[in-house]
Amino acid sequence: MIRSAKGLLGALLLGAAVALAGCSKEPEQVLYLYNWSEYMPQEVLDAFREETGIRVAYTTYDSNEAMYARLRLLDDSNAYDLAVPSTYYVNKMRNEGLLQPVDKQKLTRFANLDPQLLDQGFDPQNQYSVPYLWGSTGMAVNGAAVSTDGVTKWADLWDPKYKGRVLLTNDVREVFHIGLRVLGYSGNSTSEEEIAAAYEKLRELMPSVRAFNSDAPRMPYLEGEADIGLIWNGEAVMAQEELPELAYVYPEEGAVIWVDNFVIPKNARNVEAAHKFIDFVLQPEVAAQISEEIGYATPNLPARELLPPEVRENRTSYPTEDDLENAEFQSDVGEALLVYERYWELLKAGH
Amino acid sequence: MLTRLFKPLFDLKAPFRSGVLWLIWGWLILLVLLPNLLVIGVSFLERDPQDFIRFSVTLDNYRRLFDPLYLGVFLRSLHMAVLATVLCLLIGYPFAWGVSRVTPRWRPLLMFLLIVPFWTNSLVRTYAIKVLLAGNGLINSFLIDVGLISQPVQLLYTEGAVIIGLIYVLLPFMILPLYSVFEQLREDLLAASADLGASRWRTFRHVVIPMTMPGVIAGCLLVLLPAMGMFYIADVLGGSRVLLVGNVIKSQFLDARDWPFGAAASVLLTVAMALLLLAYWQSVRRVRQQVAL
Amino acid sequence: MSRWLLRGYLALVYLLLYLPILVLVVFAFNDNRSAYSWGGFSWRWFEALFNNRSLMDAALNSLLLAASTATLTMIIGTLTAVALQRYRFRGKAALQGMLFVVMMSPEIVMAISLLALFILLGMQLGFVSLLLAHITFCLPFVVITVYAQLSGFDNRLMEAARDLGASEWQTLRTVLLPMIWPALLAGWLLGFTLSLDDVVVSTFMTGPGFDVLPLRIYSMVRIGLSPEVNALGALLLLLSLISLMLSHLILTRKRS
Repeated sequence: MIRSAKGLLGALLLGAAVALAGCSKEPEQVLYLYNWSEYMPQEVLDAFREETGIRVAYTTYDSNEAMYARLRLLDDSNAYDLAVPSTYYVNKMRNEGLLQPVDKQKLTRFANLDPQLLDQGFDPQNQYSVPYLWGSTGMAVNGAAVSTDGVTKWADLWDPKYKGRVLLTNDVREVFHIGLRVLGYSGNSTSEEEIAAAYEKLRELMPSVRAFNSDAPRMPYLEGEADIGLIWNGEAVMAQEELPELAYVYPEEGAVIWVDNFVIPKNARNVEAAHKFIDFVLQPEVAAQISEEIGYATPNLPARELLPPEVRENRTSYPTEDDLENAEFQSDVGEALLVYERYWELLKAGH
Repeated sequence: MLTRLFKPLFDLKAPFRSGVLWLIWGWLILLVLLPNLLVIGVSFLERDPQDFIRFSVTLDNYRRLFDPLYLGVFLRSLHMAVLATVLCLLIGYPFAWGVSRVTPRWRPLLMFLLIVPFWTNSLVRTYAIKVLLAGNGLINSFLIDVGLISQPVQLLYTEGAVIIGLIYVLLPFMILPLYSVFEQLREDLLAASADLGASRWRTFRHVVIPMTMPGVIAGCLLVLLPAMGMFYIADVLGGSRVLLVGNVIKSQFLDARDWPFGAAASVLLTVAMALLLLAYWQSVRRVRQQVAL
Repeated sequence: MSRWLLRGYLALVYLLLYLPILVLVVFAFNDNRSAYSWGGFSWRWFEALFNNRSLMDAALNSLLLAASTATLTMIIGTLTAVALQRYRFRGKAALQGMLFVVMMSPEIVMAISLLALFILLGMQLGFVSLLLAHITFCLPFVVITVYAQLSGFDNRLMEAARDLGASEWQTLRTVLLPMIWPALLAGWLLGFTLSLDDVVVSTFMTGPGFDVLPLRIYSMVRIGLSPEVNALGALLLLLSLISLMLSHLILTRKRS
């Protein structure tokens, strides 16, 4: 009896060992995805594995800047297969040869994407990037504290009645975008005089500024610390759940538009799987599921049709063409960034 | 011959001692000295828009640092850090003393209770502090409800909020070393001092303070030095309105991608703090000598 | 009288320390997402947390990393403090200087320089690189804490032990360790706490496929920090409090 039990155990162990050896013969394929955390529902990753047998190893970063610095430094043995940089980082990484072209032959569903968001200055003809989610930076006005009537443009922030109640994002490019647009220049200006002029203009705004916040710009409005200022549209939608009076305004001088895109780093190890994954996400059902869960707008047109009408017709998420008049995509400003940084430090230090 | 050659490297007669020294030196040279040599090296190079650094030697980065803008930033950071350190000491000293007076079997538990709040993520904790301080927050709502004020008082996004945040985050770093010196404060010396007719105040001044001084110094170092770089507290609770040394260096590395300048700032910060501390210790020593005379 | 004053003071400080934690725990049970309005009691964030496999994985990774860091730092840091206090050797000032530099280095500088070093050495990034980096930045905290206690220590006790024929290791273990354990405990706690909360260095030290909790939480802010994080905090708090109480009970039972 004892002997047979031992025998059984031995057989089991042997079986397990054989099974393990069988597994290790054909190692599971892994796709290394580098993304913001909670920016892709777990169900999507599971479904992808179900369909293709490829496991997605998901690692996170907390800023475009950190992601960029890391991808610059990592060697081949530590490479990622897919990353999700925002607008002008695609531009920058592309110019520096950090990316490899996306093979559109392998993307059967590329046609689903909104042409309005394709072929932009940051990546002409989308040679290197495929849009994932997109949004805008516009103006928030808390109707519960101040009147929203007549608030239509960035210049309204300078109104002295908002003294100490204005919120800006803690992002040099976004803040200078306002200064530049108010003066009639492009938000992507690289001219030193224009940036200096924007700095002088922004200095006048400083006494009104309560705080800078780029972690969660909706919070100061909910905290009752700010009444008017910058916000991202996704944040505005979230804030409206608690504070319905919060209005999202597309300013006349033009909002900032950003797109988060899939890119394949130069030294990616599993390029095939990366394409498969992008194509998987381009399915309307998957794109709709992602957009619904994450709360940001999808660039996928058939997916938009699958969304509930109150989401689809919400101008905060899906602006009309009029809303986007004068709006600009951010592009890489190259070495002018140092000029921006310098004036940003002066602005913050209160000189 | 051979043993004599190797003795300075590894002394077989004192294997433990040699092993320890090897471990420490190895660790620090590999993981501290080498990377910091890289940093110092980079601080003398030029910035390159494509590859971060260009191999041509320059002192420009250091010259740029002597801009009054950065002096202001440094003084402001130092002011905040010193204020936070002094307040931590004032709160932490009696606290550590109090814990060391409790029955011994409760002490470890009390120490653990001190640190447990710090095991929840600092970002989440800082957001919780915001919930207390905000205009719509708990403190303001409470004060309005009891009728003490009619309009919310501005607590959040002020310098006070940043100091509160710094104290909250760094207090255990003051208390833990203080506690470990109080723990070995010898009762017999206190009793002897009392027997010799010293008042409690004199005992405290002449026995307790000198004996706990190593803990005070350790605690102050553990609070002051990290406080210089705690930019994220200033961001979340101060609304990023003030620029601190930590912010400048971080944004030079990540946003402006000016590594040489960021490296120079970091080197200069380290040197400046070392000089400040040295000068402070020298002056303390001199004062003591004069008192002794 | 003064005894009650002191206890009152202790209680007050604990109260202030736990006040934000209390807020955090309460909002883990809030049915709505906000921290500024109460939407009724709910377990939903705990449910969401248990279904969020990757968040739980990251939390376990972080706990494992913090515990390993704390233990190894405690050992290396104590040895360093002992060497600085007891041994005469060349370059002592240089050693102290390096520890000072670690404390003064802004996190981002340390992160990028260590990454550059590891890449130069051809290392695979992941648990080991994280562990090495975390031990390095925790080290001065432990050294300073242990050193402060050692400097009040009576060296004659150690010498007596050596004279009686004990080896260096035996002396440390039987004479020194039992007397400086509060500093060891303090050092372990500091290391655990620092490691568990580090974002910047971890961002650069982690490899593809290995995620740690603080990084996830900081990144999560972008799409709205969810109360799942509060739930996780509450859970961790509960676990630590329970294990504390148990160990306290066991220890006191043993002694009596």
